[in-house]
Amino acid sequence: MHTPAESRTAPRWIFWLLPILALAIPLATNPYTQFIINAMLIYTLVTLGFSVVIGNLGQLAFANTAFFGIGAYASAMAGNALGLPWLLTVPLAGLAGAAGGFLASAAALRGIRLYYLAIVTLAFGELMRWFYTHAGALTGGTDGLALDRGDIFGLQLNSDTVQFYIFLLLTTLLVAGTVNLLRSRLGRAIVAVRENEIATASLGIATSRIIVTAFVWSGFVVGIAGAMFALHTGRVFPESFGLTQLIINFAMVLVGGLGSVIGAVLGAVALTALPEYVRAFPGMEEIFFGVIVMVVLLVMPKGLASLLRRVSPIFHETHHRD
Amino acid sequence: MHDILLSISDLNVSYGKKAILRGASYDVRRGECLTLLGANGSGKSTSLNAICGFIKPTSGSVKLMGTELAGLDPHRIFAHGVAQVSQARDLFPDLTVEDNLRLGAMRRGSSTAAQSLATTYQRFPRLADRRKQPTRTLSGGEQQMVAIGRALMSDPLLLLLDEPSGGLSPQLCEEIAQIIDILKAEGVTLLMVEQNLNLAFRAADRFIVLRDGQAVDGGDVAAMAGDHEAIVRNIYL
Repeated sequence: MHTPAESRTAPRWIFWLLPILALAIPLATNPYTQFIINAMLIYTLVTLGFSVVIGNLGQLAFANTAFFGIGAYASAMAGNALGLPWLLTVPLAGLAGAAGGFLASAAALRGIRLYYLAIVTLAFGELMRWFYTHAGALTGGTDGLALDRGDIFGLQLNSDTVQFYIFLLLTTLLVAGTVNLLRSRLGRAIVAVRENEIATASLGIATSRIIVTAFVWSGFVVGIAGAMFALHTGRVFPESFGLTQLIINFAMVLVGGLGSVIGAVLGAVALTALPEYVRAFPGMEEIFFGVIVMVVLLVMPKGLASLLRRVSPIFHETHHRD
Repeated sequence: MHDILLSISDLNVSYGKKAILRGASYDVRRGECLTLLGANGSGKSTSLNAICGFIKPTSGSVKLMGTELAGLDPHRIFAHGVAQVSQARDLFPDLTVEDNLRLGAMRRGSSTAAQSLATTYQRFPRLADRRKQPTRTLSGGEQQMVAIGRALMSDPLLLLLDEPSGGLSPQLCEEIAQIIDILKAEGVTLLMVEQNLNLAFRAADRFIVLRDGQAVDGGDVAAMAGDHEAIVRNIYL
C-alpha cells in the first residue's frame, strides 16, 4: 500500500528513451535551432553540476562558473599548446574542473558556510576570470583563445550536427552517472550532509570526504561542459565566465528544481530557449527574461520538476530538495 | 568482578568558561542498561555528547575496552562501536526510512548492511511497512524507532540513548521500554539519559546520579525495591 508521501522512483529504462528519441532531432532543425539545442545540452551539464553542490549537498557555493571556465580554457589550451585533438581535451577539461572542485571544497572543509561560502566561491570565480584576462599568450587575454576544431574520424567538428551527437552522448553519460551517484550510498551521504552534517558525522561518515567528492564530481561534470562550450563557440573569452553567466546558471537550477536531475535538464532547456523567444522584443529582452523567471518561481517555487511530479509519481526523485 | 565496557574517569567538560562536567567518573558494564539521572544542567546529556565526540573534554578519560576515545572525532568514535540516539533524533527528514537506516551502516559492507536491515525490520515491523516513506511523515514514536534502528544498524558495542521518551505519549513510552527490553535481551549495552523516572527505573539495571557535573550516587535499580523517593530527593533537593 503506497501513501501519497511515499517516494517512488521511476523505472530507469523510461529515461533512456529520451536520448534515443533525441537522436532524430537534427532531422527537424535548421543550423540556428541546432546551435541552440547544442547549447541546451551544454547548460544541462552546467546546471546539473551546480545543482549537485547547492541542491543535493546543500552548500551555497557559486564556483560552478569557475569550473565551466576552467574546463573551457583547459580544452582550448590543451588543443592549442599541446596540439591535442578536441576529443582528447575533454577528459583533461573534466579533470581540470575536478581539480577546481577540489580547491573550492577547501573553503567548505574549513567550516565556511552559507553567505560566507557564497562570497569565497564567487571570489574564486572572479579570480579565475582575472587570470584568463591577465595570463598573456597562455589564455589570450581579453581576446580569448581560438579553437582549431579539427575533425573526428573524418567528421568535421565545426558541424552543429556532429557536435550535437557528441554532446548528446556526453550529456547522457554524465546525467546517468550523476543519477547513479545520487542513488548510491555516497549519494545518500551527500543528502545526509545537506540535512544534518553533525548527525551524519555521528553515523561514522567522514563528512569532509563526502563534501570533497560532491565538489569534485560537480567540477568534473561542469569542466566537461566547458570543453563542449569551447567547441560550440570556437573561441573562449574571459567574459563568458562572469557573474551574468553565474546568475543565469543559478536561475536554471532554481527554475528546474533544486537538487533535481530532471529539474537540471528542464531548467537548462527552458532558460536557454527563453532568450531566443524574447529576442523578438528588442531592448526588452532582459525585462521579459527576468519577469518570466520571477513568475515561474512564484507559481512553482520548487521548480518545473515539481510540476512533473504532480503529473506522475514516476518523476519522483529520491534526493531532490522538498 | 564485572566486565567493564566503558570507563569514564575524572571527565571535565566546559562550554566556554562554564564547567558542566567536573571530574565525573563512572563505568558502564557490558550488557547492562545504565541510566544517568540528575536535574537539568547536571551534565547528563553533556556526558553522552562527550563520549561520542560531539564535545571535546577539557581533561579526563573515556576508555572503551581500554581504548582512549576522548578527543577523537565523532566518526572515529562511531567506528570504535559507540552509537548515539540524540534527544533531537537527528533524522534526515527528506530521506526515506530505508535510506535513514542504511546510512547507519554506511561503514559496513553491503551484504552485512542488508542483513542488519532485515534484523531492524524484524525488530520494528512497523518500519518495514513505512520503508519508502520520508521520515518527516512518520509519527514521533516511529521516528524514535528509526533513530534507534539506525544506530543499531552499525551493530554497536555501546548504544547511547538521550531522552528516548522525549515528546512521546505514555503509550509510546511503554513501546520504547519494550524496545529497550528486547535490546537488553539481545545483549546490547545501553547508556541512557532519561527524565521520565518511570521509564528510567522500568528499563535500567543500574543508575548513576549526576549533580553539578559529578557522579554523587548510584546503585542497582532492583535493590531499590520500587522505593525511588530517596533517589528523587538526591536528584532534586
